[in-house]
Amino acid sequence: MNWSKQNPGWTMFAAMLGLLAFLWGLAIPLSAAPDPIGPAAQQFAEGARITVWLTVVSGIIGIVLGVLAGIGRMSSIAPLRWLCAFYVWIFRGTPLLLQILFVWLAAPQFLPDALQPSDFACAIIALSLNIGAYNTECVRAGILAVPHGQIEAARALGLSPVQTFIDIMLPQSMRVALPALANNLASLVKDSSLAYAISVVELTMVGYRVQAESYQPIPVFLTVALIYLILTTAFTTLTSALETQLDVGRKR
Amino acid sequence: MSQVKPTARTIIAARDVDKHFGAFHALKQVSATFREGEVTAIIGPSGSGKSTFLRTLNRLEAHDTGSIVIDGIELNDDLKNLDAIRREVGMVFQSFNLFSHLSILKNITLAPMRVRKMSAADAEAKALALLDRVGLKAHAHKYPVQLSGGQQQRVAIARALAMDPKVLLFDEPTSALDPEMVNEVLAVMRELAHTGITMLVVTHEMGFAREVADRVIFFDHGTILEDSTPQDFFNNPAHERAKSFLTQVRHGF
Repeated sequence: MNWSKQNPGWTMFAAMLGLLAFLWGLAIPLSAAPDPIGPAAQQFAEGARITVWLTVVSGIIGIVLGVLAGIGRMSSIAPLRWLCAFYVWIFRGTPLLLQILFVWLAAPQFLPDALQPSDFACAIIALSLNIGAYNTECVRAGILAVPHGQIEAARALGLSPVQTFIDIMLPQSMRVALPALANNLASLVKDSSLAYAISVVELTMVGYRVQAESYQPIPVFLTVALIYLILTTAFTTLTSALETQLDVGRKR
Repeated sequence: MSQVKPTARTIIAARDVDKHFGAFHALKQVSATFREGEVTAIIGPSGSGKSTFLRTLNRLEAHDTGSIVIDGIELNDDLKNLDAIRREVGMVFQSFNLFSHLSILKNITLAPMRVRKMSAADAEAKALALLDRVGLKAHAHKYPVQLSGGQQQRVAIARALAMDPKVLLFDEPTSALDPEMVNEVLAVMRELAHTGITMLVVTHEMGFAREVADRVIFFDHGTILEDSTPQDFFNNPAHERAKSFLTQVRHGF
């Protein structure tokens, strides 16, 4: 931990490489495992890749949504503020599983045939909107935490409101918001398992199928749990290294 | 004391400036003009409106009524005017307000690069020269939290100077400092006073006001009660309120 605190850049790089190596190489150690894991090694590896894809893509969209809606929550334009508050209210107040099912079943009804999203895309949409709502509140808390004197100093120096926001408020608020955003990302790794309900073949779905064929739930679900643990560990290492990197101004 | 030519032109003209905070009447019809190169100490009890007056001059507080003209530009809701004025008017705050996520060097180069569109190399050269002037060149790559309060305030002065302002506003620049750090900041300000820049200093440092200022303004209850030279103010204050304030300050610490 000390080494990773001193070398946040290298830690991020190592965590990234570790994650990639884990994803590509997962099938090799698993295929050496005894029945029922060994024969299904390729399925586990494929499921883990889908889980990581769901997490990374909806994680990134969720950050963008969170920053935009977080700014919107602080806007001086009342309807925009209401819209963003409404968005948070809806997506934080209803179950994620319901949101996933809604997107999957409702989208075909109001979209033309050419634009029908795949199951995977439906999961991405629902997960992004959900984590985006939670991120909105983190970003808002970050913006509220920027001392008013910082903004006054920027304005007194002649920086425009937009420059003040980009150069001063955003970097300082992200530093505050990052631990909470990282927490949401760790949740997302696991929440992505709900995509199994709309037949996205991610890690949990693979586990369910393999145990249904082999009637051996204990080794199968223990393997699935272990893979999730490795994934969340990689993601949290990545985000805590990023935190250390951004914390540079507060170091003594 | 700096030498203000009697013919120096007016750079700040405030006329009948009024300001309320809710029911509190912070400034009552305040009028004052300041000439180029003049160093003015603004003193008075807390809550008297002295800081509020200073903060209306670069519109950190918008005045309710009255007019403020700075270097020929009317200070109002027109953002173009406001940007033009803020380029000419620098400010040093009681709590320094250095940008905590930026290095000392970046704190100083940010505004010249963003607002004056200076190149990074030019801005850095200028920042290092200014840091040298306030005796902190060796700290250019540190972060604000690594410096003492006195050092941070000197950086804040360098940051304001990097914009080549015609006017510098100081809002109690030494009030948040440990006693042993007050002098290093006052020394920088004393040196600045001789360069011909217009300075308005809200302060409780009576020694500084007496020795460095050309003019002393005494605020009380949102009005300017006295406006005179340091000699007159400190030796023969005209109002009872100013007399009791001076007694308090002399014996209060």
